[in-house]
Amino acid sequence: MATIERDQVRIRLAGRGSQGIMLGGTILAEAAVIDGLMVAEIQEFGPEARLGAAKADLIISKGQIAFPVVHQADFLLCLSRPAYVRYSTTLSMNGLMIAEETLREEMGDSFRVTYIPFRAAALELGKELYSNIIGLGALAALSNAVTKESLQNAVRARVETETLTENLAALDIGYELGYKQVPQQIGSRWANAAR
Amino acid sequence: MPKLGLNIDKYLRTQVLPTVWCPGCGNGNIVEGLATAFSRMEVDPTRVVVVGGIGCSGRTPFYVQTNAMHTTHGRALAYATGLKMAQPDLTVVVTAGDGDALAIGGNHFIHAARRNIDLTVLLYNNGIYGMTGGQRGPTTPFGSRTTTSLAGNIERTFDTVEIAMAAGATYVARTTTFDMQEIPLRIQEAMAHPGFAVVEILTQCPTYYGSLNQLGDASDMLIWQRDLTDGVPVKMLNREELLGPLRTGVFRNEKVTEFTQAYSDLCSQVGGNYGHN
Amino acid sequence: MNPEPNKNNQKLVMGNEAVAMGAIAAGCDFFAGYPITPATEILEEMSKMLPPRGGVFLQMEDELSAIAAVIGAAWGGSISMTATSGPGFSLMQENLGYASITQTPCVVVDCQRGGPSTGLPKLASQGDVMQARFGSHGDRPTLVITASSVNDCYESTVFAFKMSQKHRMPVILLIDGVIGHIREPVELPPAPPPRKATFPKIDADSPRFGDAPFVPFGHGPVTVVTGLAHQSNGLAETQKGSHTEQMIRTTIENICRDPEIIDSWALKYQLDDADVAIVAYGITARSAREAADLLRADGIKAGLLDLKILWPFPNEILRELAGKVAAIIVPELNLGQMVLPLKAAVGGRVVVHSLNRADGTLLTPNDIAEFAAKQLNSIEERTHA
Repeated sequence: MATIERDQVRIRLAGRGSQGIMLGGTILAEAAVIDGLMVAEIQEFGPEARLGAAKADLIISKGQIAFPVVHQADFLLCLSRPAYVRYSTTLSMNGLMIAEETLREEMGDSFRVTYIPFRAAALELGKELYSNIIGLGALAALSNAVTKESLQNAVRARVETETLTENLAALDIGYELGYKQVPQQIGSRWANAAR
Repeated sequence: MPKLGLNIDKYLRTQVLPTVWCPGCGNGNIVEGLATAFSRMEVDPTRVVVVGGIGCSGRTPFYVQTNAMHTTHGRALAYATGLKMAQPDLTVVVTAGDGDALAIGGNHFIHAARRNIDLTVLLYNNGIYGMTGGQRGPTTPFGSRTTTSLAGNIERTFDTVEIAMAAGATYVARTTTFDMQEIPLRIQEAMAHPGFAVVEILTQCPTYYGSLNQLGDASDMLIWQRDLTDGVPVKMLNREELLGPLRTGVFRNEKVTEFTQAYSDLCSQVGGNYGHN
Repeated sequence: MNPEPNKNNQKLVMGNEAVAMGAIAAGCDFFAGYPITPATEILEEMSKMLPPRGGVFLQMEDELSAIAAVIGAAWGGSISMTATSGPGFSLMQENLGYASITQTPCVVVDCQRGGPSTGLPKLASQGDVMQARFGSHGDRPTLVITASSVNDCYESTVFAFKMSQKHRMPVILLIDGVIGHIREPVELPPAPPPRKATFPKIDADSPRFGDAPFVPFGHGPVTVVTGLAHQSNGLAETQKGSHTEQMIRTTIENICRDPEIIDSWALKYQLDDADVAIVAYGITARSAREAADLLRADGIKAGLLDLKILWPFPNEILRELAGKVAAIIVPELNLGQMVLPLKAAVGGRVVVHSLNRADGTLLTPNDIAEFAAKQLNSIEERTHA
């Protein structure tokens, strides 16, 4: 069967409940809307969403999105071990997994996985809760799916005013960590994807 | 007699008479009581809806000359709840049998009572499923014969009053078709009561319950009802005595926040203007 | 595909939220429901939106009472709706029949999930399409509308209300767990201010049923409503149901002749020169649209007929299509439901292939395209043999 270049990125954010995965999905989707892109987002709901495995799927596209569900992710952000185990098989052929550094020891290195110390960076910022925004920053740096400005605006629209400064800082840290990891082939592959 | 000085015909849909009910059925007494209550209260028929379920009792709405809603089996109270909430200044009377209100519709009965929504429920208790030919129901007395308990009913019997009170009904009364004078009085009290009001009315079914249990004809059954219920006014009795299944009178009459009022208050709190068109 | 750049005043809205917003836009002022996955968000949204507008939100004790309260409220003069999923939809069937025989305008949303029974609460399914048509006992007029995007959820809900009032009948909106939960950017108009429904003036001896306008209790003379077969004055007729049969026949005819229905029945995508047509609806229509593109990229002239109204079934459109294409592919998230009326409509004039899946997994564009290509190859092989 032929394939069609859709100019679209399929993203899956996964982690434990309470890691802010759903909020991350909402922020990323809103950033795409601000950028004038098409987006379809679907979040895990029902008992699973409360029992630990949180997930948000997004398709961000320049054109209309026909099939709106992520079966194979181009970018998979994994913040927890169960999420890694459960979703690593849903990475597309040329996809990239962006995983929490502490999972490296158990899961091992692979050209398809880039490990980033989200947890450590978040703790340094004050709270582990910032992992999701740091993760978003790294994911945005690596995928180029949305602009940084839009992502910042989406963060402004969605997080509590009291923690806005920290969340924006978290986003910057995420971008920095992401850029450090950019493997050349990924950067070029997605550079034009969603701009 | 309740008819004295009153023309209750105005509140009867005479063109559809005679009723579907068997000769000797007690339901006609209840219809007369309802029309008498309407007549005494001089209700505007266009502002009253009588909502019935399915079964003998459910046919009542056809026979009174007000708005009528003959609904599905067991669900009359749920229909009535939606109707009352949509137009809170309508007077809504629900007629339901023991099977309708306590078996298939038991859930709606307890939840409507819990909400304390301003509905008047006339619960016709004949202890049997009459329309389908005399099967055992939730209020069939222990040991009684029905077409599905020919050797005697081994299931325990629901006490409507106890259920209504436990579920939170704020007006609860019981009377019988023997007490013809009392029926319209209780209906008037229930209609005037702002909240969920239940009037259980024991009504004879000579065709099935009477014949299967050798209780004689309709008039014999009225005497039987009189003797079952001792006529002692409820307020004279203590709690233990009240627990007997067949006391008559008013068991509860309390003012508690009514549901459409509570809903109106809730809307006001969030800036909404509810109802009253 | 015509990519259209988004405007920045678009908002991310979930399908279920869009249903609630569409209901409010259509003037809905009464909602009764019971929580059920994956339809719960509609209930929650209505509980937030109705009280500030003075509308009624009721969380009932079960789905039986939810639909009963909705019908009761319609007769109280409200524009009313409920929303549920498969198990609750099953419980509503008897009272849906009551709404039909009493010609009560109301809207029922079924956000489908995998069945039977508790089945797959969170997963997509199109297993209720036959239930939506035949679930209630007896014959009745049915109007069943689908949606395959968040924007559709809004527009189909508005349309459902409009049709329910126009034809005096319960209208069913069938979506599914994926469409109900997906969030897409949409630009929706702000909610209109609350308004009370108005009804025509009638006399005491005016007919109440059949072709008569809907006039609820308290808005006119005394009225009798019954679920028994009845005459046009509302009084029961238990010996012969000719008035009721006539009412049902007339309503069905009116729906099928309604230009608004005819215009909304189905969307055609690349069908003009198509050799193979995919006929799909709801979430599956989105996969099918992409499948048609994939097939065309492979040199197979494929198109899509996207059914927006399932019942009444668009027999004429299908008959016409059957004369133009060599094969029809019917992908569905059930074990083959809409393919049945489709086969009846095309009457053997074209090969019909059913592609089914009922395990909660979506049919992907590739699934459909590969299936279609395989079927076409086998047709060719047979033709050349």
